[in-house]
Amino acid sequence: MTDKAQTTILILDDEPIVSKRLKPSLEKKGYEVETFTVSIDAMKRVREKNFDIVITDLKMEGVDGMQFLTEVKSRSPETEVIVITGFATMETAKESFRKGVFDFLAKPFKLGEIADVISRAEKKKQG
Amino acid sequence: MKNIFTQISDKLFHRVSKGEPSSFAVLFERFQEILDINNQILELIAKANDTLGGDYIFDRQHVHTMSLEISNRVEKLIFTLDSIAPKKYRDLHRAFQRIRAAIEGDLAGRFTCPVADFVIPYRNINRNLVEAVGGKNAFLAEVAANLDLKIPAGFAITTGAYLEFIKSNDLEPKISTILQSWHQEKIDVAAASAEIRKLIINGKLPAKLEKDLNRALEQLAGKRSLKKIYLAVRSSAFGEDGERTFAGQYTTILNVQATELAKTYLQILADTYGEKAMLYRRTIGFDEGEVAMAVACQEMIDSKVSGVLYTMDPSHPEQHKMMLSATWGLGGPLVSGRANADSFAISRSTPHKITAVNLVHKKKALTLLKNGGTKEHPVSGDRQDTACLDNIQIQKIAATGLLIEKYFKYPQDIEFTINQEGELVLLQARRLAIAAPPKIKPGALAKLTRNYPVLLRDQGETAQKGVGSGPVFLMSKEEDLRHFPVGSILVARHASPLLAKVLRGAAGIITDVGSTTGHLATIAREFRVPCLLNTGQATKLLQHGQAITIDTEEKIIYQGIVKELEEYALTEDDLAETEEYRLLRRVLRKIEPLNLLDPADKNFAPRSCHTFHDITRFVHEKAVNELIDHNYYQNHDHRSAAGKLDWPIPIDLIMIDIGGGLKTKNKEGLIKHSDIASVPMLAMLEGLAHPKAWNNEPMSVDVGSFMSSLTRTFSPELAAPEHVGRNLAVVSDCYANVSLRLGYHFTMIDTYLTDNINDNYAYFRFFGGVTDSCRRARRAQFLGQVLASQDFRVETHDDLVVARVKKLDKTGLRKRLYLLGLLIGFTRQLDVKMVSDQSINEYITQLNSLMEENHDR
Repeated sequence: MTDKAQTTILILDDEPIVSKRLKPSLEKKGYEVETFTVSIDAMKRVREKNFDIVITDLKMEGVDGMQFLTEVKSRSPETEVIVITGFATMETAKESFRKGVFDFLAKPFKLGEIADVISRAEKKKQG
Repeated sequence: MKNIFTQISDKLFHRVSKGEPSSFAVLFERFQEILDINNQILELIAKANDTLGGDYIFDRQHVHTMSLEISNRVEKLIFTLDSIAPKKYRDLHRAFQRIRAAIEGDLAGRFTCPVADFVIPYRNINRNLVEAVGGKNAFLAEVAANLDLKIPAGFAITTGAYLEFIKSNDLEPKISTILQSWHQEKIDVAAASAEIRKLIINGKLPAKLEKDLNRALEQLAGKRSLKKIYLAVRSSAFGEDGERTFAGQYTTILNVQATELAKTYLQILADTYGEKAMLYRRTIGFDEGEVAMAVACQEMIDSKVSGVLYTMDPSHPEQHKMMLSATWGLGGPLVSGRANADSFAISRSTPHKITAVNLVHKKKALTLLKNGGTKEHPVSGDRQDTACLDNIQIQKIAATGLLIEKYFKYPQDIEFTINQEGELVLLQARRLAIAAPPKIKPGALAKLTRNYPVLLRDQGETAQKGVGSGPVFLMSKEEDLRHFPVGSILVARHASPLLAKVLRGAAGIITDVGSTTGHLATIAREFRVPCLLNTGQATKLLQHGQAITIDTEEKIIYQGIVKELEEYALTEDDLAETEEYRLLRRVLRKIEPLNLLDPADKNFAPRSCHTFHDITRFVHEKAVNELIDHNYYQNHDHRSAAGKLDWPIPIDLIMIDIGGGLKTKNKEGLIKHSDIASVPMLAMLEGLAHPKAWNNEPMSVDVGSFMSSLTRTFSPELAAPEHVGRNLAVVSDCYANVSLRLGYHFTMIDTYLTDNINDNYAYFRFFGGVTDSCRRARRAQFLGQVLASQDFRVETHDDLVVARVKKLDKTGLRKRLYLLGLLIGFTRQLDVKMVSDQSINEYITQLNSLMEENHDR
């Protein structure tokens, strides 16, 4: 990472462990990271700010992941969305591709795997 | 695998039975089902273990799903065994339900004690027993066993004893009711506490506990009279010291005469429900259902000086200093903050310079009374204002503290005492909670570390993530390890399991070659030692004694000690302590360990199954037996012939023919070479019968040195042939299914060999069961390399080796089956001889030459 503007990432997952694990690891790599466990809060935040990358689970209480990512994409089409999900919702994950999702990962996944997806998303943004 | 089995089964039995049901056909189908489920379970267990490495991100849901997947298969396994041996293994259901209930308890957050013992002496305790003996006991015993530090003699009374006490006195519903009244504010905390305490104090100890306590005391006393033994009796709650501190919430009672232990024990239990402790638990949201008190019973030490060391300043971790306070006499007043104490600030770097001293006026000291109890005595005038520790002692305490920190990989809060002989004795080592929010933000870290020279970047694979710093210890030969200093970074050519011996004390491990699914990686994960494998060149790049810092998550090796990283790693939220990891670890303890080893042992029974792995192992063994009994000893089914192999190899092998596998059946039930028509079986047996595969020449290796590193007391490899167990082959003209148990190696081969290349396959599974870990992993490595070089697709997890090959022509597959036969014989005697990693290559060469011999024939 250089001193130019940091890549901003928002993470939404209702199980806190996911953010807890991802945040320090991504920050260490020089990303600016915000995390949420409640989808309503994340929704509020994306209405205030456009993130470069959004990482979200699909199955959650309240606003579900699909609604959330639809909102993100409609507000800020250039935001790349990465879906993380358990096997049970894999079909839905495929459906999410049609909504313009960049990629999805099945839980459990490795830190290295998500780091790869993020850096690919970054490259795509930088064109 | 499943598909192959079903397909093959259809093919085989179509031929055997031509539509009419064959009892053996059914039996064999079930048997194959058992093998299939068995393999699935072993692979799921191996996968779950990998997930612990810190490299995966998973949630609670995953732990639930994983447990359910395994649990369902184990249940299916038992039902399948039932179907071939109706009503014979009813106890197995009870064992299954017991284990499943314990796992469900874990998943639901209920506490269960993992061992049946009520009392465990310190020498038998390690940190894996933390749920049974509590944090205080577990960490202290672990330190004593592995770091050669002195701790008081003693034993632990387990959480299981507490639970049994509560149960036998029927206290649970009563306590529950009182707590409820308190939560509903019908009574205040003081009243609730007093009522519960009274219930406990008036309770009766279970008879077995009383007996166990007396035995433990007698062992402690040796030849001395019990009246002369005085104890420090301390609470050691589960959850204490590990997850939440509970510091100072529970009680310690000093200088208790051994004969008074039972009474004191009840008092400590009662204090679990002291007002302060109850309020504390409510504040931190600790479920009362999880209260389970273990107790430490330690022989009382007559202290000259006592003190506390923090290996880091919890408010200012960035200052890289340790904080030490100490006073004359016993430590009680100091720990509880009642006494004035001398305090010292000491640099974390060697030599540990004392950077600040604050000496106080010490008027009184707590000392032991002759007939039990303690009393504050005036300190003699000349000692009131002198430092209670000298520089040499301070140096030693500081170094010891850092050693413990390096060992546990957390900043430490250490209680110590110096006895009348001047020896340093540890009383407690627990994780120090860092109060200050980390000064270093992870984002800033990338910038802060940018100025340190990087020796290696983006090379190798991470087996355990983390940061470690210290001097390089470059290992060239095995003997070097004897001099490995705790806190160094071990650098070696191969990820040899031999390194496991010193791994716990290492600040990090780097190798040129090695795999993250190997045995060393598993142990590195267990002890959270940062571990970077397969870097290709670390041994060439790094010099012995050179100070380095590794960050295995980023795969970077820095030159020098990067203090910023070290501080970040020590103060970072630790993922091994997150609820999900603890849960997975706890659940896996009831799934993974294999305790059932020797089928000849009377404990090889459902009641001794402690884990799902035990059940899996038990079912497999019994399924093989059922098949043999059914067809060899009883021979009910006229359509399947059976006999015992009559070959000059030391294997007792029963062969069952299900269609064209045998030419004739000998009257005596003996099967000779010329009787066998099964093409795949013959190929395997020819390999197996190679004289060099069973070379039993006297072993020249130093077996003794191996034995000394064994945690178990026997050597399966040296078992006599009559103990090698029952082995079974089910064959047809083109099919063979072989289950072998040689010593404690379990081998399974399933193969189909015809002129049709698309149908041909061989499946090989090897599991080492139990033996010294070094040899086990070398053996797996050897098998893996040989099989991979012969086009098998190989997966190894620790010492489970699964290899598959398919779509080979007849000649090609026969050659592989010959190899499998050769390997079985060869491997059995191999690991006794595998004294070093180089020997792996030697044996690969040897085996290849045996293969070529065959080829030339």
